[in-house]
Amino acid sequence: MSTPKPAPGHFTILYFATATSFTGKNVESLPAPLSLRKLGDVLEERYKGIKEGVLGHSLVTINLAYVDIPEEGEDDVIIKEGDEVAIIPPVSSG
Amino acid sequence: MQHNSSEEHHSNGVAGRNEGQGGFSRRLTDEEFDRYSRQMIVPGMGKEAQLRLINSKVLIIGAGGLGCPAAQYIAGAGIGTIGIVDGDIVEPSNLHRQVGHATSRIGMMKVDSLITHLRDLNPLPTYVPYTFPISHENAADIISQYDLVLDCTDNPATRYLISDVCILLCKPLVSAASVQKSGQLIVLNCPPTPQGKADKKYSPCYRCCFRKPPPANTQLSCGEAGIMGPVVGLMGVAQAGEAIKILASGLHLPSAISGTTTEDDPHNLIQPTLLIYSYDLNAAPGPYTFRPLKMASRKKNCFACGENSPQTLTLEGIKSGNPNYIQFCGLQTPKATLPAQDRITASAYHAARESGQLQNHILLDTREKEHFSFGSIEGAVNVPFGKLLMKAATIKRSGGDAEEILPVKSAEDPIFVVCRRGLDSQEAVEKLKELGVDQGGKRKIVDIIGGMKAWKEEVDPSFPFI
Repeated sequence: MSTPKPAPGHFTILYFATATSFTGKNVESLPAPLSLRKLGDVLEERYKGIKEGVLGHSLVTINLAYVDIPEEGEDDVIIKEGDEVAIIPPVSSG
Repeated sequence: MQHNSSEEHHSNGVAGRNEGQGGFSRRLTDEEFDRYSRQMIVPGMGKEAQLRLINSKVLIIGAGGLGCPAAQYIAGAGIGTIGIVDGDIVEPSNLHRQVGHATSRIGMMKVDSLITHLRDLNPLPTYVPYTFPISHENAADIISQYDLVLDCTDNPATRYLISDVCILLCKPLVSAASVQKSGQLIVLNCPPTPQGKADKKYSPCYRCCFRKPPPANTQLSCGEAGIMGPVVGLMGVAQAGEAIKILASGLHLPSAISGTTTEDDPHNLIQPTLLIYSYDLNAAPGPYTFRPLKMASRKKNCFACGENSPQTLTLEGIKSGNPNYIQFCGLQTPKATLPAQDRITASAYHAARESGQLQNHILLDTREKEHFSFGSIEGAVNVPFGKLLMKAATIKRSGGDAEEILPVKSAEDPIFVVCRRGLDSQEAVEKLKELGVDQGGKRKIVDIIGGMKAWKEEVDPSFPFI
C-alpha cells in the first residue's frame, strides 16, 4: 500500500510500539537530507531521553529495509528527501 | 524432520507409486484424508506436504495469547507431534485473548487446558505437555526433541534464551510478540545454520535483529500495559501459518534453499521479513497498519551466531547460567530508590487524611487515564506518567515555569504521588524535585509506597484495581 508523501525537503519517520508512546506520534516529517548517524541527536533534541529510552535497543529501517547505524570510521548513510524511516523497538510480550 | 514411518498411521495404507522414502511413502488413513482434505487440495500442498506435516514435531513455548491461536492451527493442520511449554495456570483475565482455554478450566495448568482443547479439535497428533516454564537449565533438552520452535513467550530474557538455544541446536524459530496495540512476527535461523557460519548467506537470529533488550523499566507486559485480543491473536495465527509453510515446503531443510536464493529475491528467508502490525483504535486500517520490513542477514559479530560466537556461547555455558539472561535483561527486583523520608505507606497516608492532619495537599495519580477511569482516591488528579515526563522534558529544555507541570496551582501545598504499583510514582517524585517544584526542600513531595495496589490491600479492599 502506498503511503503519504512527505513535504518537499523532508523525509517521513514512523514510530512503532514504545517509540509511539514516547513521542506521542505515529508519523511525522523531518527535514532532509540528514545523516543517519545524526538521526539520534535530532530526535533527542525533540524528545529528550529518547536515545536511552528507545533508540538504544530499537532497530531502524530506511524504505522498509534494515540499516545498521554507522559507527565511528564507518561510511555514513544519508537519509534523503522522500525516504521513509522507521524506528522499531522490540516487543517482547505475548 | 523425522522420515521414519509411524506405525499407527498404517492401518489402511499401502505405498503408492513414485513416492519418497519412509514416512512419505504411505497412504493417508481415511481419517487423515477426510480431516486434512481442504488444506491438501490447496495449490502447492498435496499429499507429500501433508505427510511432511504429519511427520513433523513442533514445540510451542508459551500457552498464552500467541500460543493458543498458534496451537489451534498447528494442531488443526495435523502436525504429528506438538510440545507445549508453560508453567502458568488459567486466569479469568487471560480469556479475552487466550482462546485455547475456557471458563470451566480456570485454575488448571495452561498446558493441560490447551491440550484438552486441542485433543477435541484434533485427536490425531501426539501432544507433549511441559507444565513448567522454559529455563536455561531445561531449554536445550526440550528444544532438541523438535524440528521447529514457536516463541510465544512474554519476556525478553526468555526470547534471547530460546533464540540462542535454537542457534546452537540448529532449529528454525518462528518468533512473534505483541503488547497493547502492536504485533511483530519474524522467521529466524531458517534454513537453520550452525553457529559461527556468518557471511551474508545465512539467516539471522534474534540477537542479530535486536542486539540489546529494552531497559527494564520500559519493558511492558500484557498485565501492565494491556493487550487487544485480536492483535495478539493475529500474530499467533500468522506464526502458525509460517510454521506450517516452512514444514510443508521443507524450507527448514538446508538443501531446500542453499544456492537457490539471492539477496534480491524478496521472498528469501536469509533476509527475513519482520512484519509489524499496528492497531489503531481510532482509525480504519491504513498504509501503516502492516509494514513488512526487510531485515539483514546474519551478523558477523553476533554474540550467538557470528564468527567468533562458538567462543562466547555454548550449550554447557547456558545450562550453567552463562550468559545470565536475567541480568542481561536487567530484570532484578526493583528496589526502593527514594529515601524513607520521601515515602509514606498507603495506610499512613489514609490515616493522616482521616485524622485531619493532612488538609490541603495535591494528590497526583500518575496511572494511565484508562486505569484512572475505573476509580481513584478522592481528590486525586490524573497526570499520566508519560505525559508528566514529556512535560518535564519540555520545561527543562525551554526553561519554563516548573509549576506548569502541576494541574493544580498552589505553591506551598505538599504533593503526594501515587501510581499503580509504586515504581513510576518514585520516578515522578524525583523528576518534580529535579525541576525544583520542591522549592529546595521547603515543599514536601512524597511517594505513596506500593501505589493503588497497596491502597487496595491496606485501605480499601473494594477498590477496582486493574
